[in-house]
Amino acid sequence: MNLAEVAERIGARILNPERAREVDVDRVHAGDRMSDLLSHVSDTTLLVTHIANHGLVRLIELMDAPGICLVNGAAPDQLVEEAARRCGTVLLVSPASLFETCGRLHRCLGAGGEGAAAR
Amino acid sequence: MTAATYPIISGDYERGGEASKQLKTLLKKIGADAAAVRRTMIAAYEAEMNVVIHAQDGAMHVAVDPEQVEIAVIDGGPGIPNIDRALSEGFSTAPAEARELGFGAGMGLPNIRRNSDRFSIHSGEGRGTQLRFMVRLRPAAPGVTAPNSVAIQDGRCNQCLRCLHACPTQATRVRGGKPLILEHLCVDCTACAEACPSNVFGFPGQTALPEISPETVLVLPASLLGQLGPGVSFADVEQALAELGFRNVRVSAAWENALAEAVRTHAADAAAAGPVLSPVCPAVVNLVRLRFPSLLPQVAPFLTPIEAARDEITGPHAVFVAPCSAQYTALAAPNGLTRTDVLAPAAIMPALLPRVKRRAHPPAAAEDATVTPLRIGGMDSVTRFLEDVENGQATDCRVVELYACPEGCFGAPIWKTHPALARARAEAALDGHEETGAAVRRIRDLTPRGGLRLDADMGRAMLKLGEIDRLTRTLPGRDCGVCGAPTCAALAEDTVRGETAVEACPYREMEDAGNKRRESLHES
Repeated sequence: MNLAEVAERIGARILNPERAREVDVDRVHAGDRMSDLLSHVSDTTLLVTHIANHGLVRLIELMDAPGICLVNGAAPDQLVEEAARRCGTVLLVSPASLFETCGRLHRCLGAGGEGAAAR
Repeated sequence: MTAATYPIISGDYERGGEASKQLKTLLKKIGADAAAVRRTMIAAYEAEMNVVIHAQDGAMHVAVDPEQVEIAVIDGGPGIPNIDRALSEGFSTAPAEARELGFGAGMGLPNIRRNSDRFSIHSGEGRGTQLRFMVRLRPAAPGVTAPNSVAIQDGRCNQCLRCLHACPTQATRVRGGKPLILEHLCVDCTACAEACPSNVFGFPGQTALPEISPETVLVLPASLLGQLGPGVSFADVEQALAELGFRNVRVSAAWENALAEAVRTHAADAAAAGPVLSPVCPAVVNLVRLRFPSLLPQVAPFLTPIEAARDEITGPHAVFVAPCSAQYTALAAPNGLTRTDVLAPAAIMPALLPRVKRRAHPPAAAEDATVTPLRIGGMDSVTRFLEDVENGQATDCRVVELYACPEGCFGAPIWKTHPALARARAEAALDGHEETGAAVRRIRDLTPRGGLRLDADMGRAMLKLGEIDRLTRTLPGRDCGVCGAPTCAALAEDTVRGETAVEACPYREMEDAGNKRRESLHES
């Protein structure tokens, strides 16, 4: 499912929507530990995290993460937004908590979930 | 091959990641595969942030070639007091500032290890930490011949075929008048070189000393220290090497001891049945991989000492002396981070030997009643030792026990248990058992045994001796044993004694004809 659709279904805002329709994801990894996030980057993984400061900049620059979803409606650092634009990482902001966001993503992407059934 | 060094600034969280970013740019430029770039970035960034978070300023040294990227991240301390703990998942000493950025999960080092194809860490309280890892940029191609370094010198082979029988993997052939090595079977063990009477198998490595700088590190095999004669201390060797310009000298024993210690600890925890095989010798590791793959789980999971040494030394220039082809192969693998010269012993011995000062009276411990006897077993080894003694060698050992069989009587052919194992078992069985016997003094001196006499009459014996010499020269000199005598000279002797005839040699006429052909070619 592409990130524009994902954002719409989970009620998230996309900060840089230019590439959102081109990026397909089928996997979600949520966490706040940089080591975990680094380890779970793939071309089809959406990362979900509380980290919205410049720690995220390197994740974007070094790992070519296709999409990152911030939670609790948190606006990211200016640096993060710039890095995402520069590197083509789609940045989402979910108004919900990390737990709730993951629940919504599961319904939308999880095997046999509503999202999967709807497609 | 591209090499670069990027600085890492301690405590600068904003710039932390800059070094990794530059490495990424480099990898992108050479078109490295995306998955390999990701693995490299995980490892590099974690290593870089470790310096930013925990250490004084440091640097990331990288060397990239089409096959692999090698990285060394070196900092100025304070070092890691307990590496095992640092390597365990979840252990962290990161400050709050780092945790805010998502660091300090205690997954850094494990993450680096997981994403590398080789990984080592050298540290200790109060000194810097050196982290070194390698990521393969493309998968190792299957079926590629294993590298080996057995060298063959043309024109020396007399086709005695001993190398064929000595090879444990049947990797040697003698064709076209000289041996050749089947690379996919060779484990670099030098059994062929040991068996060869004609020195056909040469020692790999540079034969001249390279240019060195004050920063050059020289690594000597411990076995080289045994080649310098009696009464030589390491300090004497260091001094001699200093005269040659080597200021930093290390001995392989450091890594050998470290491995022994690590394997002991590993064996205490290892659940596997069967003995733990310590990877001390790269040739034996190769042998297990080739002929005993079912035993691979029993090989303790460590690099061989020589590989560990190569990994630890990250200065600008390292010089190794390789005593065998297996070590040479391990050392000659590409090393982008450190200019590495691998010398054959011949490159350094002629300069070293005359410079080493030997003490006038080597401590032979003549008065020391507790002197441990030298125990030598196996007829080859015993004969060689006796020859050495006859030639005035071995002046620094007092008591020698010589046995015909390897490991003494435990190696007698009648026994079925491996001699080393049998000895260990017998010693264990006798532990605590007490019994007394007595040494009995001989009352008559030993006399020489006669051996073979050509003739009772000395004059006739002399004539026969001349005849033996003449006949020997007509034989091919292969000492192959096909005629039933161990050497060509022995066949000549047996012939003169009337027990056989030189016609027993299957090669005599063949080579005669060959010689005549060559001669006529020269004449025309």
